[in-house]
Amino acid sequence: MTEALTLDQAKAVLEAFGPVAQLRWNRIQVVTEPGKARDVIKAAFGSLSCDRVIQMSTADVGENFELTYHLTGPHLTVISIRVHIPRENPSIASVHDLLTPAGIYERQIHDLFGIVFRGHPNLARIILNEDWPLKEYPMRKDWKPVKGTFYGGIQEEVR
Amino acid sequence: MTVGTHMSLSRRLATWARLKSPWITIFNSGACNACDIEIIATLTPRFDVERFGILAKGSPRHADILIVTGPVTRKQAPRLRRIYEQMPEPKYVIAMGACGGRGGVFQGLYHVMNAVDDVVPVDVYVAGCPPRPDEIINAVVETLRVAKEDLEHGGKEWRMKKQAAPPVPAEKKAEAGT
Repeated sequence: MTEALTLDQAKAVLEAFGPVAQLRWNRIQVVTEPGKARDVIKAAFGSLSCDRVIQMSTADVGENFELTYHLTGPHLTVISIRVHIPRENPSIASVHDLLTPAGIYERQIHDLFGIVFRGHPNLARIILNEDWPLKEYPMRKDWKPVKGTFYGGIQEEVR
Repeated sequence: MTVGTHMSLSRRLATWARLKSPWITIFNSGACNACDIEIIATLTPRFDVERFGILAKGSPRHADILIVTGPVTRKQAPRLRRIYEQMPEPKYVIAMGACGGRGGVFQGLYHVMNAVDDVVPVDVYVAGCPPRPDEIINAVVETLRVAKEDLEHGGKEWRMKKQAAPPVPAEKKAEAGT
């Protein structure tokens, strides 16, 4: 195991893309724009040896979706790359070719939030049931089940 | 034996055997596993369910009683229906815990059907989150009492909800009026 990354080391590589902050002793966050996300991941992959994705998280914060890539490596420091995706056009470039496991997280986020990952080879359902209606994203804050819509399961009454 | 005296000897023998040793099968339809752990605890020697002849079976085709734990997720609903249909008649269903009764903490979520009763007809409910093993044993014994009553009435229909008559279409109603 190597030494943990310091804030200065991370700043030297990631400062160009956006503000860098140390949230906890082993967690460094950089906030950037959706168009630069791939470049940040490439930089973290090459210069900071962050070769693993441990989680991709999304939160609905009103006007934007807050998408965060959490990367780590042998130094066990978590680099959180946060982008804000506009709600009107939820779309961002896929990173499945840089970090293979990210493709599965992208399918899940597409299921639950409706964010389109451009360039993903197979953006199919992974977590919702197969007969879930199209264009319904249950983890969005403004989502409400529409009365009379069939959301999967069994339709007719038993008795 | 007082149950089913109007039946033939072989039928009475089968009924006696069935009531003497109910075989149960357990189906987790999306529970948090607490109910399943309590069922496992029920099967341990401390509670000794074999004194009632209760045996846990892996296949629904061998079972008399189906214990369903948890709210029914939309993915599990067709599978629960299929497992219920695989069981031989007469079959009984126990819905276990607060989730099995009306959804519990999962009630109203986007991915659950809210209750076992929406998918398969339920005969006995067990309250609790999770129910204790003695309550599960009590539920199985209660199911046997219901089964004996069913034998007296010749089927399950006497205690099922009455089905509402299908609504009359508007044009038919108008024809009847004129």
